[in-house]
Amino acid sequence: MTAQITVTEGGIPHNTLMIYGIVGSLVLIYLTYLNTVTGTQYFSFLGGLGAIAALIWGSSTIKRLCSYGIGTGVPSAGMLAFGSGVIAMLLATKFGIASPIVALVLGFVIGAILGYIANNILAMKIPVMIQSIAELAAVGGMVMIGFSAMATGSFTFSPLSVVPVEVLGATVNSFGASLIGGGIIAAIFMLGSIALQHGFNACLGPSEKQDRTLMLTAEVGFLSMLMVAIFSYAFLGLYALIINVIISVIGWYYTYAQYIALSKRDAAAWLDSKPIVELEGA
Amino acid sequence: MSALGGAPAGGAAMDPISMVIGLVLAVVFIGITFVLAPLAVIPLIGIIVGGVLIGFGVHFVPVGGAPAAMGQAPGIATGVAMLAAGAGLAGLFGGAWAAEFGVVVATITGAIGGGLLMAITCLMVNVIYVFGMGIPAASGKVEKDPITGDTQAEYKSQGTEGHGLPFISFVGGVLGGLFGGGGGTLIYIELLTVYEQYLPSIFNATVEQIMPVAISLAGMFAIGMFLVNAVLAAYNITGTIEGPHDPKFKRFPRAIVASLVASALCGLVAILIVVVNLNLTI
Repeated sequence: MTAQITVTEGGIPHNTLMIYGIVGSLVLIYLTYLNTVTGTQYFSFLGGLGAIAALIWGSSTIKRLCSYGIGTGVPSAGMLAFGSGVIAMLLATKFGIASPIVALVLGFVIGAILGYIANNILAMKIPVMIQSIAELAAVGGMVMIGFSAMATGSFTFSPLSVVPVEVLGATVNSFGASLIGGGIIAAIFMLGSIALQHGFNACLGPSEKQDRTLMLTAEVGFLSMLMVAIFSYAFLGLYALIINVIISVIGWYYTYAQYIALSKRDAAAWLDSKPIVELEGA
Repeated sequence: MSALGGAPAGGAAMDPISMVIGLVLAVVFIGITFVLAPLAVIPLIGIIVGGVLIGFGVHFVPVGGAPAAMGQAPGIATGVAMLAAGAGLAGLFGGAWAAEFGVVVATITGAIGGGLLMAITCLMVNVIYVFGMGIPAASGKVEKDPITGDTQAEYKSQGTEGHGLPFISFVGGVLGGLFGGGGGTLIYIELLTVYEQYLPSIFNATVEQIMPVAISLAGMFAIGMFLVNAVLAAYNITGTIEGPHDPKFKRFPRAIVASLVASALCGLVAILIVVVNLNLTI
């Protein structure tokens, strides 16, 4: 199983992408803190953009890991990433302002141990296994925390699990109406893991191109972000919701158009399909 | 891989040094839990047992993957991540409804939920194979079905490793569902007891008030651990297995150690969420 099946040619080196992904997602998720500084909710969408930065990095990692032929299919890597990522993310939210950094570090630690288990105890013997699973767990944690920050405008445990609700004119703390208590985190879990694994799963094979794969990941990421924008209706004001939706739709349209253009570029031939002409009297 | 005449990838070899390192890590994780949250050690043991049940159960499930979808290998035509998520979540939903009746009833209910889903899946898979694709059920790994004694070779098409779901695979699928559903429910119930114990004092609220958060947290952690254990077990069988009669089944001791270490790690992180309380003001 140590033979590398697909050879990646050209494109941005993986380590460069990883640095872009780490820095980009951390900076963008931390920029949602502007909500607290300015006392508004308009900067929540930056959390979603941070999640997409992490998704693009994770898609490159999945490509690197799955090019070795792990035998279980690409989706399993996405599931492992988010299974360990959600564990890292939920603990990290307890660390207040340090949450995104803790999610990243904790994801790397949990992933590295899981990678060691897979590579040595289960004898997978894949050279990039430990590093890849460590990266994937960190990506899972960052995507979860980014989307959570986008939906609620915050990334710490208390705002994610308790929200004030007005009942009969009095304000009470509601646990059931929060992101964690309401179970919306489960939907974010699946939206993120679909976006993470779909890019390479759909584009793998001969003449796979890095820019096309990553563009598809970004496109699916923006679709997931649109869903998260709709979730934010439960937590944010109307204007913040409108900003979230508009940014998601613009991002999705741009990446979708780009992806179609790249697909046309890579296709052997492109014939604009026309309806079948029905012959008269036939 | 055996179609090519080569040795099965990964092999059944065990790496004793890695095993010992893994077990030491598991003991360290349990020790950390004992120091930080002494009351959570017994639930952690329950979580580890649940994780091991999941890892063991995956080995029973006839996972066919892409070759099965083309009718070239026996098993259910999808990957472990999908099957495990289906059986595990069905079990988890069943068990969660019965949570108030205690650990034993809830675990058995969860096991029945998982087993029922796998039984329905296996039945419908065979209906589609036999009446949709027009292929009989035949195993490529054994001469006779270990339970019914039916010979297999006459029904096996040349150039394939068998096809459809023979009776032994069907039984294996149901057994795997029982183990997986029961294990997932056990993790959920144990985490729920920990959260019911610690969360009220953290939020300064009653048990009834924090239940949505406790249930959601326990559910998310249980799903995360379920996927981690299932994917690690899938790596152990390199993606596909016919059922308990498959030679790959003998690799299960490795998966048990792997699940033990991974569950101890994930369980520790899941318990730490009630211990760490750095609500740095934001």
